[in-house]
Amino acid sequence: MTDDSLGRPPGGTHRRRPAAPRRHGRWWAAGAALLVLAVAGCSNRVDIGAAGPTATQPAHSGGPLTVAVVTHGAPGDPFWSIVKNGAVQAGKDLKVKVTYQGSGVPQTQAQFIDAAVNQHVDGLVVSMANPDALKSSVERAVHAGIPVITINSGGDKSAEFGAITHVGQDETIAGRAAGARLADTGVRHAICVVHEAGNIGLTQRCQGAAQGLHGKLDTVQVNVNNLTQAQATIRAKLTADHSIGAVLTLNPAIATAAVAAESGTGSTAKIATFDLSGDVTTAIEQGQILFAVDQQPYLQGYLPVQMVKLYHDNANTVGGGQPVLTGPGFVTKANAARVADLAKRGTR
Amino acid sequence: MTDDTALLELRDVGKRYGPVIALADVSTAVRAGQVTCVLGDNGAGKSTVISLLSGVHRPDSGEILLDGAPMRFAGPRDALAAGIATVYQDLALVPLMSVWRNFFLGQEPTKRFGPIRRLDVRTARSVARTELRGMGIDLRDVDQPVGTLSGGERQAVAIARAVYFGARVLILDEPTSALGVKQAGTVLRHIAAARDRGLAVVFVTHNPHHAHPVGDRFLVLKRGRSLGDHTKGELSREDLTRLMAGGDELDELATELDRP
Amino acid sequence: MSAPAVRDERVAADHPVRRFLVRPELGALIGAVVVFVFFAVLSSTFRSAAGVANWLDPASTLGIMAVAVALLMIGGEFDLSAGVLTGTTGLAVTILATHFGLNVWLAVLLSLVLALAVGLANGYVVTRTKLPSFIVTLGMFLVLQGLNLGVTKLLTGNVLVGGLVGRSGFGSAHLVFASSVVLGGTYFKVSIVWWLVLTVLATLVLLRTRFGNWVFAVGGDAKAARNVGVPATRTTMVLFATTATAAWLVGTMTALRNTSAQADAGVGDELTFIVAAVIGGCLLTGGFGSAVGASLGALIFGMTSVGIVYAGWDADWYKLFLGAMLLLAVFANQFVRRYAERRRRS
Repeated sequence: MTDDSLGRPPGGTHRRRPAAPRRHGRWWAAGAALLVLAVAGCSNRVDIGAAGPTATQPAHSGGPLTVAVVTHGAPGDPFWSIVKNGAVQAGKDLKVKVTYQGSGVPQTQAQFIDAAVNQHVDGLVVSMANPDALKSSVERAVHAGIPVITINSGGDKSAEFGAITHVGQDETIAGRAAGARLADTGVRHAICVVHEAGNIGLTQRCQGAAQGLHGKLDTVQVNVNNLTQAQATIRAKLTADHSIGAVLTLNPAIATAAVAAESGTGSTAKIATFDLSGDVTTAIEQGQILFAVDQQPYLQGYLPVQMVKLYHDNANTVGGGQPVLTGPGFVTKANAARVADLAKRGTR
Repeated sequence: MTDDTALLELRDVGKRYGPVIALADVSTAVRAGQVTCVLGDNGAGKSTVISLLSGVHRPDSGEILLDGAPMRFAGPRDALAAGIATVYQDLALVPLMSVWRNFFLGQEPTKRFGPIRRLDVRTARSVARTELRGMGIDLRDVDQPVGTLSGGERQAVAIARAVYFGARVLILDEPTSALGVKQAGTVLRHIAAARDRGLAVVFVTHNPHHAHPVGDRFLVLKRGRSLGDHTKGELSREDLTRLMAGGDELDELATELDRP
Repeated sequence: MSAPAVRDERVAADHPVRRFLVRPELGALIGAVVVFVFFAVLSSTFRSAAGVANWLDPASTLGIMAVAVALLMIGGEFDLSAGVLTGTTGLAVTILATHFGLNVWLAVLLSLVLALAVGLANGYVVTRTKLPSFIVTLGMFLVLQGLNLGVTKLLTGNVLVGGLVGRSGFGSAHLVFASSVVLGGTYFKVSIVWWLVLTVLATLVLLRTRFGNWVFAVGGDAKAARNVGVPATRTTMVLFATTATAAWLVGTMTALRNTSAQADAGVGDELTFIVAAVIGGCLLTGGFGSAVGASLGALIFGMTSVGIVYAGWDADWYKLFLGAMLLLAVFANQFVRRYAERRRRS
């Protein structure tokens, strides 16, 4: 007796697949994907058309200076894109090669700093939302002889880590000023909308505002990556508590959300914000937002690049060990129109 | 060789599920080296017989005797420990896993002890290959996923597994029902192979054409009752078919359907 | 009844190549090599020792989680709370050591207990209610996300808890979890060592132990596995405890390295772990996959996130690149496996 389970293809012979066309389609897709990536990467190099070699070697020997800007801002954040614009413009004006990387995860930001140090950049510009997490990487940069300038957050640890100076706004001072301004208009109870958990700068703003207000200040947590949700949260707060006299936001996108949140709730709470955008200046012009505290992020991108160049060319250090303050500046109905044009350019 | 004491015996067994009488007064015996077929149409009570023999449920009346002594299984693990292996229709094979892994699933051979106890892969592979060869299957590769085997080959793996792990009684739940003619033939050969190795086989099916060639004893069920417990000598294939289909009823039906 | 000897000889010749081609990690291996060559060509720093240490770092913390998540996925379940749990454990360590003044090692131990409680809760609900683990762990994800923020603010008034440096036990704990190993003048984070050891361990368990066999079985067909006596419930519980322990390890490492913990840590990472596991050959339906593959997937992520910096690209393209990598790796896996199966039948 023969055993006919041998010699037959398992699973039966009736299954057939359309082999050729689908396989080729997959290869085309793969090739296209690689092509897109290569083009995408090339077209987004943030550097100047100096006729020098691409940065695979340390750029010291005659080529342009390289400055790495590594922030804690997520890609796509409107505030940080102004900082980036400032840095990029400084690079163009001063013929410096500027690269920009950002991540809200401290460990990732540290890895980006390490990468910059490995590439022997000529200057490092870092924002320190979580200074402790970046300490070893920043100190490693300093140790490697790279001039470090901190911007925006972490100013109180800047000198301790060995940075040349800090360019930014003292958040507590700015907060106090904002709180005081609100108090001047008769506000006794305000909410402070924090949009980024883990950022001490934002906490300092709210704490400063509480001090300046001499009234009641509640903090409300939202996520800047989910503006619809943020709007709903603010609206809920306004509807639930009618004693709120002002909403103080810390980010232009959140400010716009707050304006939308308030409409239709019957609340007459004033809205004020930190930081600018085109929408915010328009809203100030129209009277929907009372004022904006401007820390001039463009300067936080531009000035450090200039400082690095001066450090290299002329051994200059700026600040004398103290921070270089870019704010608070106040944008109100009085000066909003002028600033509005500039904000639409993405530089204010 | 037949033993006079049956390995497994059902004596006037009855089972109810709530108000439904699944089985009533059913008797049969299963002997080592013999195949007992349990036949019946859908709803006849075949699954209930399996669940009683494999220890999933307990009978409400009558007795189940193992080696002549009445026994009461607390659950399927008890039955398994007593040497009663059941191969269900879904075969309890994991399609994505290799043949040898499936073969030894739940009873993997190991070497060394304690925290560094490891699978004895070499033994597992060679034993799986040998046992399958004993069932007439020579697999190119015992590492191939079980899902790539034909239905008949998969049955062989399930049966070979039960045989290897010391089953004395092998209960097969409708092994040929989902297969084509040729593959069903293969499975019947496997059943014969298991029988020849001295196991007592309970072959549950609704197909008398499959049951007759390989069976030594036939229990025909209809709606929970036994239509007879016959040995092979007493029954031809036509008799068996007729018994299952309802005998006289079928004659009447034939007359009714005949063209005038 | 046995086959003629001729067939056996043909079988032996066919084996090694085909067996290699159907391995689940092949797609990930190809992907990793392609990505490495791609960036190595673009940047000499990428392939330097310092560069390698740089991109092995994110690969390691991601890899530890990817391996654990891969084991769970092979076992047929998902854990969407794994990412946020790394935040919870890090916060637990930091708060216990700073706010409550406990010795860092004690804080680390209590954090492990907390992680195991979460993992076993996940496992218990999944095995008891038979609800899809996707849903159950999604619920846990939201719970933990809320707890991370709420409890941290309640206890410390802040969303960033710092000050681990100088606490009793910090030095030794930092040494074990967050220090660097010097190799030929370059500093490699110790998490890389943990990652490699855990990958080897996971592979051994998966392929060379009874438990590993059970994992494949429970993921492939839980009913069949139970029918042959595999302890399915226990297996699933152990797998959830494994992802929780991995989350504890990564959370502890991060807290000790950053000497602080953030309330929003880990959120969003859970999908990255799953993507790394899928690149590594894990099927979403379970029953198939590889720990080595998941590690290779994590390696691809690590090389990409840092490689983009070395190549001077805009980091905005990171996600696009990753998406393309994922699709490429999965296509490669499928293509090669189908090819190998077809050859088997001829």
